[in-house]
Amino acid sequence: MKADTDTTAQRPNQRPELAAIDDETMRGVLRKMHLIRKFEEAAEASYMRGLIHGTMHLSIGQEASAVGSTLPLKAEDYILSTHRGHGHCIAKGADPARMFAEFFGKENGYCKGRGGSMHIADVEGGNLGANGIVGGGLPIAVGVGMSIKAQKLDRVAVVFFGDGASNEGAFHEALNMASIWKLPILFVCENNKYGMSMDVSRAMAVPNVADRAVAYAMPGIIVDGNDLPAVAAVAREAAERARSGGGPTLIECKTYRLRGHSKSDRNLYRTKEEIEEWRNRCPIRRLEAELVAHGRFTPEELMTIEEAAQAEIDAALEFAKASPDPDPKDLTRDVYAD
Amino acid sequence: MPVEVILPKVDMDMETGSIEAWKVSEGDFVKQGDILFEIGTNKAVMEVEAPASGIIRNLVPASGEPIAVGTPVAWIFLEGEDASDTPPPPAAETAAAPQAQQPPASPSGEAAASTAPASNGHPARALDSGVRATPLARRTARLHGIAIAEVTGSGPRGRITEEDVLAHLAKRPAEPAPVAARAPAEAPTEGELVPFGPVRRIIASRLSESMRVAPHFYMMAQIDMGALQALLKRVGPRIEKAVGVRPSLTVLLARVVAGILPRHPMLNASVEGDAARLHPTVNIGIAMERDGDLVVPVLRGAEGKNLAELTREFGRLREAVANRTIQPADMRGGTFTISNLGMYGVDSFTAIINQPESAILAVGRTVDTPVGRDGQIVLRPMATFSLSSDHRIVDGVTAARFMADLREAIECPEVLI
Amino acid sequence: MSTLTEAAVESAVRELTYAEAIREALAIAMEADERVFLFGEDVGVYGGAFGVSGDLVHRFGPDRVIDTPISELGIAGAAVGAAITGMRPVLEIQFSDFVTLAMEQIVNQAAKIRFMFGGKAKVPMVVRLPGGSGTGAAAQHSQSLEAWFAHVPGLKVIQPSTPHDAKGMLLAAIDDPNPVLIFEHKLLYKTKGHVPEGDYRVPIGKAAVRREGRDLTIVGSSIMAVRAVAAAEKLAQEGIDAEVIDLRSLRPIDFDTIAASVRKTHRLLVVYEGVKTMGIGAEISAMIAESDVFDFLDAPIIRLGGAEVPLPYNPVLEKAAVPQEENILEAARRLARGEA
Repeated sequence: MKADTDTTAQRPNQRPELAAIDDETMRGVLRKMHLIRKFEEAAEASYMRGLIHGTMHLSIGQEASAVGSTLPLKAEDYILSTHRGHGHCIAKGADPARMFAEFFGKENGYCKGRGGSMHIADVEGGNLGANGIVGGGLPIAVGVGMSIKAQKLDRVAVVFFGDGASNEGAFHEALNMASIWKLPILFVCENNKYGMSMDVSRAMAVPNVADRAVAYAMPGIIVDGNDLPAVAAVAREAAERARSGGGPTLIECKTYRLRGHSKSDRNLYRTKEEIEEWRNRCPIRRLEAELVAHGRFTPEELMTIEEAAQAEIDAALEFAKASPDPDPKDLTRDVYAD
Repeated sequence: MPVEVILPKVDMDMETGSIEAWKVSEGDFVKQGDILFEIGTNKAVMEVEAPASGIIRNLVPASGEPIAVGTPVAWIFLEGEDASDTPPPPAAETAAAPQAQQPPASPSGEAAASTAPASNGHPARALDSGVRATPLARRTARLHGIAIAEVTGSGPRGRITEEDVLAHLAKRPAEPAPVAARAPAEAPTEGELVPFGPVRRIIASRLSESMRVAPHFYMMAQIDMGALQALLKRVGPRIEKAVGVRPSLTVLLARVVAGILPRHPMLNASVEGDAARLHPTVNIGIAMERDGDLVVPVLRGAEGKNLAELTREFGRLREAVANRTIQPADMRGGTFTISNLGMYGVDSFTAIINQPESAILAVGRTVDTPVGRDGQIVLRPMATFSLSSDHRIVDGVTAARFMADLREAIECPEVLI
Repeated sequence: MSTLTEAAVESAVRELTYAEAIREALAIAMEADERVFLFGEDVGVYGGAFGVSGDLVHRFGPDRVIDTPISELGIAGAAVGAAITGMRPVLEIQFSDFVTLAMEQIVNQAAKIRFMFGGKAKVPMVVRLPGGSGTGAAAQHSQSLEAWFAHVPGLKVIQPSTPHDAKGMLLAAIDDPNPVLIFEHKLLYKTKGHVPEGDYRVPIGKAAVRREGRDLTIVGSSIMAVRAVAAAEKLAQEGIDAEVIDLRSLRPIDFDTIAASVRKTHRLLVVYEGVKTMGIGAEISAMIAESDVFDFLDAPIIRLGGAEVPLPYNPVLEKAAVPQEENILEAARRLARGEA
């Protein structure tokens, strides 16, 4: 029990990005990264056993960008997520039990079983929803930014999207408007190298998504998306700029999805070697190794955090399985608000 | 295929004929050229020969009643043909006159079954299926128990419309056919039979329908006409000078009613299914007589017109009725009707609601009547007003409130100004 | 008390154009509610491509009457984002044809968010869409695409025909907690009519009987309701008493009013400017055919819709592509005769 009193001064060898996250916060970070990983592994297992229908898009390997980008956010700040959004959701504070319930199509899921994996939203928790349309959240984020500004709120919006979405017109329209109106938005591109099967180098004429920020006169920052402290540091700076009226930032997290695009992906477009190489850059193990190397946590402490996350996920899964199904008589409920 | 025996056209401009007598019987073998039956036209009786040789079946009974030209009246089954496995097509495609409707009433169940297609086993529908008729015509026919095939269509390509069914209905004897058929001799046959004209047919159908669908109730009030008479005397000549017509008591009453009706929406309404349609304007129908028929021209938007305007419009309508130039449009869209028979010396009467309106006001004559006023018996010009209301949407209190307003407005017309 | 006096008052009413009525509604809503703002292409100093926003930018400032870049998808999405976070955006799509660029946000996002989120969000946004033909603007600036959106659960679609309704329905739309698309016919902008002062609402989803009649029913909305009323007056002189129903709202649709009318007249003509096939007329005809009103039809239903062609530039061709008053007259006469 020494971690609580750690400071940068006591650990001079730490890089500043790591030192900026105190131990208590770091416990939370680790817990969330494990929750995301184990949530998705459990979801995948349930899917393979036929307990979940439809499809799902797993973000295993991308946990650092989800947790790092949301680390500087307050409860009342907003996120807008993507079809690969389980990580963003948990990072913003969602309850895995209600997420599982949604996956199982249950009445007490986040969307009462009406949305499923691709549409999980927790509006009260500031999560304005995952989105099944590539680039769908980007223009919405502009409106959220306008809303924050009009209501003079001290809030920011983080909108996640992939490298593929940056080729949509919506991306360009949204960045342009956010910039001309100096809206408090963090555009977080999770560049996981493939838009479904298409390599980003074949889909874009510029090497980096962040290069596109130049066209909209906003900062475009490239960060190692598997390096949590680095992502968090970039996000913190962008959030501060947004809150102080400095306008939006485009952040490009270079990362990699270890699973296929969806459950029907046979990985024909990439090599086993490439996947293996990225597996070795696992953001969770990297962070844990660094923390142990600097003496901030012992392996036993880390194991305790991971086991607690596993227990939480196991309980969440049981909650979902035991939850009630929707009643077909409520089929058309909530199409319109009264 | 069996050969159809039709009622042939044997005379120019012949539309119907009747079978006076069959010369053969069901199941007889007939030779081509044999005399089958005698046909009566309005000029003569003629014989009809067999168009083919074979067994004759499904004879339409000789009733002497009119059958449309071209209607099959029997079938000749050729040698080797079985009545049960080659059913003759139903007699529906021809535009049949009223009494040609019955499917061949064969004593043989086998032959009767043969008139219905085996596929759905639903003879009534099968009989109608080839007929071109609108859904409304079919519905009206269904409600009145008429086979649609009986009705002659006047629409495009012979389509039967509601009007055709109503016309057919008006022509039909009032008693159910089977009773009439069983005991024709008991029906009174003496006296002149005056067929309905088209207008009477509609009146008969509409008023019967009104009594059938609308539960009527009646409310009477004796009202002092003194103030109204005085008003008429005062403004009558002036209006006559302005519009060329002297206002009548009826038109003045129309003005009064139009003034108070907006406060009584249910009396200016129509029943539509399970709802009451509240009309945004007041269109007052005035019952009139023409050549023994009832016509009801309509004063449109009466609530927004002054007495002079109403008088002019009423004058035009009355003249159009008299000259028989009244247009259907002038008689449509009424929302409330007034019937004044006071000029015939009638004291009071009740009227049948003019559907789809919800009420009608019947006005009797104005007669000096002893009434109590301030503890004295005085003679006052009184008239009896009877309101018939459709109880589906008008309740007693609703009607009573209208009557109270009516009394106030007639006894003190200033309230309207 | 007297109806004569009311008539006198009625004659002294003030009149506004359709465009002025919309502007007045916007001003009333923005005055009353800080959350309401108008945005779109050239709605600021320019005053809107059709002059609808006019001087609103001077009255409410550029933060509430916001000029946007030419980014239809982007601004439609911005309306969604603002709506789900507590604002009441009113978006003008300069020509309704350009909504094709914004389909994703309107159809996939605005219409579905509430449902997908299990009822945990509201999307109170209004999209104003000037549409329709008759201005010589040719195929990409003259369409009537309202039926597309009326096909989408989660959206409301309205088409007021009079200045009175334009104001009352826009105010109702701004108040509505759902996405409402209001299709404004460009030819109606300059038409004048009685518009009461102050705030009033014309409910969404309720048709208006513009003229009562007994012989046949004509259903139309927007400018087609106007043309139908004009045609009905001429029909009356021919002895055909037509009832005219101004639909006003396509989704939700007021079937009860149509049903009651057809039950009475037994004949139905549906007039709409959108292309005839798979249009509003098909829906209304099918609703009648599926309901008990079927039994009250005394003639085949007639649909009078836009021709199966992109809207032509040539003015004669342009008129020929869309139902005009003469076409309604002719169709109504056919219907009165019971011809299919």
